[in-house]
Amino acid sequence: MEKQEVYDQFKQLEGQIQEVLAQFTDLQAEMTQVFEQNAELEIENQHLRDLLRELQRDLPEAPETPQGLSKSRQILEKLYEEGFHVCREFYGTRRKQDEECAFCLEVIYRDQ
Amino acid sequence: MKFSINRAAFIKELNNVSRAISSKTTIPILTGIKIVASDAGLLLTGSNADISIESLIRADDPDIGLTIDEPGAIVLTARFFSEIVKRLPEQTMTVTVKDAFQTEITSGSAAFNINGQDANNYPHLPEVDAADSVVLSGAVFKELISQTVIAVSNQESRPILTGVHFVLADNQFLAVATDSHRLSQRQIELPTPSSAAFDVIIPGKSLTELSRMIGDDDSDVKMQFSENQVLFLLGDTSFYSRLLEGNYPDTSRLIPKDASTTVEFEAPELLAAVERASLLSHESRNNVVKLTLTPADNQVTIFSNSPDVGNVEEALDPKEITGDDLEISFNPDYMKDALRSFGQTTIRVAFTSALRPFTLVPTEDTSNFIQLITPVRTF
Repeated sequence: MEKQEVYDQFKQLEGQIQEVLAQFTDLQAEMTQVFEQNAELEIENQHLRDLLRELQRDLPEAPETPQGLSKSRQILEKLYEEGFHVCREFYGTRRKQDEECAFCLEVIYRDQ
Repeated sequence: MKFSINRAAFIKELNNVSRAISSKTTIPILTGIKIVASDAGLLLTGSNADISIESLIRADDPDIGLTIDEPGAIVLTARFFSEIVKRLPEQTMTVTVKDAFQTEITSGSAAFNINGQDANNYPHLPEVDAADSVVLSGAVFKELISQTVIAVSNQESRPILTGVHFVLADNQFLAVATDSHRLSQRQIELPTPSSAAFDVIIPGKSLTELSRMIGDDDSDVKMQFSENQVLFLLGDTSFYSRLLEGNYPDTSRLIPKDASTTVEFEAPELLAAVERASLLSHESRNNVVKLTLTPADNQVTIFSNSPDVGNVEEALDPKEITGDDLEISFNPDYMKDALRSFGQTTIRVAFTSALRPFTLVPTEDTSNFIQLITPVRTF
């Protein structure tokens, strides 16, 4: 193989890798966006269902959690279970490897 | 500068001071050890950016055989200097500083010539005044460190939790550490009433180094503070550490006040059972053991399952058990650390629910030492 040819191939490969990287970044951003939208829609859906339930009293009540948590605490609990900190110290950051956090649990379950 | 000294005694102090010296430092002179010879004796200093150790070898101690022929100061690269001193042939050694910081180290017929650095370029140690100080016995302090330092976080992303929070108020000395998964808190009433008060966070790494320096002779440790430094005085050795800046989260609210199920165990027996169960849990992805408590039948079972390897189940022998039925899962490694810190004693474990943290306390002193562990949610 000529030296020039090797060089050209390297150039070409570099271009391809960069293209793949760009695609990858795009996809990642896209995926994050979809996840975010999904979470928002789920919460929206929950709110709408709650509203609907209030409008139509004859529908069955939402099941009470065993701890009898208030609605806002249930939302916090749900966020926590989805893998986010809800404590003051680390609010909104991801729980790495679903580690448990005593601060979050205190926020969710503290005595009223 | 010129002095001669008994090598064995010198090596001991050299090792102590070397704890603070790291070969990876951004300030080149800190890879060295500072030696100052004066009429009082020999002052050794080692430092990295976080901790500094200073040790005085007294000239009037006959066991050390120190003679100062000419006072002066020098900085020598610690790595070479310690290795040289350890390998010298005779019992005594002589250090002479000549022109241009050339330093000659002789012992018997061996002679080393190494390049030193100007001691004037060595950074000054912080000034710490003696206003608020606390004196504790070495053994008590060492125990306090070993009991709390297990719970500090090793994640640099949460700098404040990599320290132990010390609070002195109303003569009560409180140390608490948490990595948010578990918490350890120890409280000591000072033997002598003190009006001092402080609220500081000391890096866990500094405390680990410090506890290695506290000997078995149970001599007192004195603690002093300045704005951003803490100074521990151990006899003729001074140990400086920087403090962590920021507010430590309020941990008192993490400790549950009441319990729905309590059970008492001999700490070593429970530890052995948890160690057995963790043999398998370590093989599974989530590293969890499950405890099932049935107070009505006086039964406690520990269980762990690893789908690839197999499972383990063991019936425990609680000394006392009261309250509601409960099934709770937790990380056995946290449990092991906590149980080891109790030693040979009976402990009480108090649960509130399968989702909330539980506590361990020694039955003979239920208010001054507490370990808290967060359960793992299993679905």
